Amino acid sequence: MNNHIVENLKKEIENFKSILKVEKVGNVIEVFDGIAKISGLSDVKSSEMVTFPNAEVGVVLNLEEDSVGVIILGDYSKIKEGDQVKATGRILEVPVSDSIIGRVVNAIGTPIDGKGIIKADNPSKNSGPSAYPIEKVAPGVITRQSVSEPVATGIKAIDAIIPVGRGQRELIIGDRQTGKTALVIDAILNQKGQNMICVYVSIGQKDSKLRKLQVRLEEGGAMAYTVIVSAGASESAAFSYIAPYTGVSIAEYFMDQGKDVLIIYDDLSKHAVAYREISLLLRRPPGREAYPGDVFYLHSRLLERACRRNEKYGGGSITAFPIIETQAGDITAYIPTNVISITDGQIFLETDLFYKGIRPAVNVGSSVSRVGSNAQIKAMKKVAGTLKLDLAQYRELEAFAQFGSDLDESTKRQLERGKRSIEILKQSQYSPMKMEHQIVVFYALTKGFMDDVPVEKIKTFEAGLIDYSEANAKNFYKEIKEQKMWSEKGEEELKKVIADFKKSFI
Amino acid sequence: MATVSNNNIARAIYLAVKDKHTTEQHTVIKNVVNFLFRRRMLSKSKNILQSLNNIVNHANGVVEVKIWSKYKLSHDHKDHLEKILKKRYGDKEFIFLEYLDDKLLGGFNMEVNNELIDLTLKNKIYKLQEHLKTEYE
Repeated sequence: MNNHIVENLKKEIENFKSILKVEKVGNVIEVFDGIAKISGLSDVKSSEMVTFPNAEVGVVLNLEEDSVGVIILGDYSKIKEGDQVKATGRILEVPVSDSIIGRVVNAIGTPIDGKGIIKADNPSKNSGPSAYPIEKVAPGVITRQSVSEPVATGIKAIDAIIPVGRGQRELIIGDRQTGKTALVIDAILNQKGQNMICVYVSIGQKDSKLRKLQVRLEEGGAMAYTVIVSAGASESAAFSYIAPYTGVSIAEYFMDQGKDVLIIYDDLSKHAVAYREISLLLRRPPGREAYPGDVFYLHSRLLERACRRNEKYGGGSITAFPIIETQAGDITAYIPTNVISITDGQIFLETDLFYKGIRPAVNVGSSVSRVGSNAQIKAMKKVAGTLKLDLAQYRELEAFAQFGSDLDESTKRQLERGKRSIEILKQSQYSPMKMEHQIVVFYALTKGFMDDVPVEKIKTFEAGLIDYSEANAKNFYKEIKEQKMWSEKGEEELKKVIADFKKSFI
Repeated sequence: MATVSNNNIARAIYLAVKDKHTTEQHTVIKNVVNFLFRRRMLSKSKNILQSLNNIVNHANGVVEVKIWSKYKLSHDHKDHLEKILKKRYGDKEFIFLEYLDDKLLGGFNMEVNNELIDLTLKNKIYKLQEHLKTEYE
């Protein structure tokens, strides 16, 4: 047996012919703050991977007349002047396979969760190529179709008033500590059984925060369909810069299999700051707020990769939830306005609302979804239309009501309805609500069933109504699930069930 | 205004000293040093000289070949190499710059026009290792 192996090896060695490979090389001129200037490297492409002697990887960003600017992805302390750098001829790529689901990887796709390597190749499953370039041109017009399927976030304020469709890019914007991350965690938790893969890209966050998030997702069983890409606060700006592109490449891998993907960039303000740092180190000219001139393109090329592909091109979608952190509520700053203009709508979270106890602190007046209403199911559209109107009237009358004491009956009624609407839209963290439950609650609210329920008892009424209706209005629920709309018969059944519950409640 | 690169300066120097007599060339070089001093660019002189060297070599059809080897190469070796290099880079004059590297096991490394041709024993063993790995995994 041993002889046989040795014989085979001998044959292999004898017959082995080394193919001569010519490599493009250059030399390090200077290294500083995660950046290297390199001479030589002729014919190198922008975004091409280069390797340093200690096996560290770099990405070419600046192509100058007599030098090349490279960001170093890793430890740059051992790289010194005169070191030889080799071009690889490949754009930076991330290894992907189905087994990446449930894992935490860094910005270059290396696992950091201690669960071993991710096998990139899976030829038996024919799951496509194993390495995806992180920079890719967004799908063209011909390959796309319009947004028509909803993303159920489980958050009442969003699903009813600011609906999001599969393939949409919806910005989540707000100051620090307004519940931006909490909102997206809820959205991920609600994707259980919704045939959706989630990719959470953490940019410049504390490792402790990421760990908490991972534990929360594990507890909620959400890691079974989630991938976390992390570029921590302790890592260099280069990692923060490429992390979102790595995330979207992973998302594209699943979209290419015809799957729907939800990607969260938490957050793009830190991404822009990381890019500013790199650009200034590379001596690119600073522009407004010291950001480089192409900071708009930085985000537009990333968010354009979110799309819904038509069946002819394999279907699948990438829905993006970029997050932007504002400073003191200033949404007119450079990066917020850029991202607002790129996305298909925004969800504003306000500190004032948060401290008033309205959580999620969504300002429904300023939030908008430009394409999501097409994706809303018919039943939700019907109840949400009235809800939007009620809230708009409430906001208008609320200001007047503070001055005048003599209010006519209809105004008082509108104010009371508004108060209850606000109360219903409150939702505690980690408790996403099913679409059919939301419809029942909004139906009861907009049809006036809650008008005589005291505001402080609204939440108890809501919880009781959900349990009671689920047990007694089975036909209504069935119709919503199957036909996405109720029939007259179903409506009658629900009305009766609500009325019965109300009698027992009051 | 665009930044002046080392290459720009080297090209300007080349054009200024080209077709000039030695005394004129001396004056030009003096002016270049003054210019670099005034513009606080003396620290870049090494890189500028490197660029100038490349320009001159290019103009004269000369190619520098850096070779790292364990032992000094024989004339036969060099002649053989020159023939191979002429096939790849055309009919040019090759200047061999030899460096001895104790870390090498055998063979040699060659750098021509930012291209590295690795003919070391270590690289061959590494390739054989990769080949055997793919065959037996």
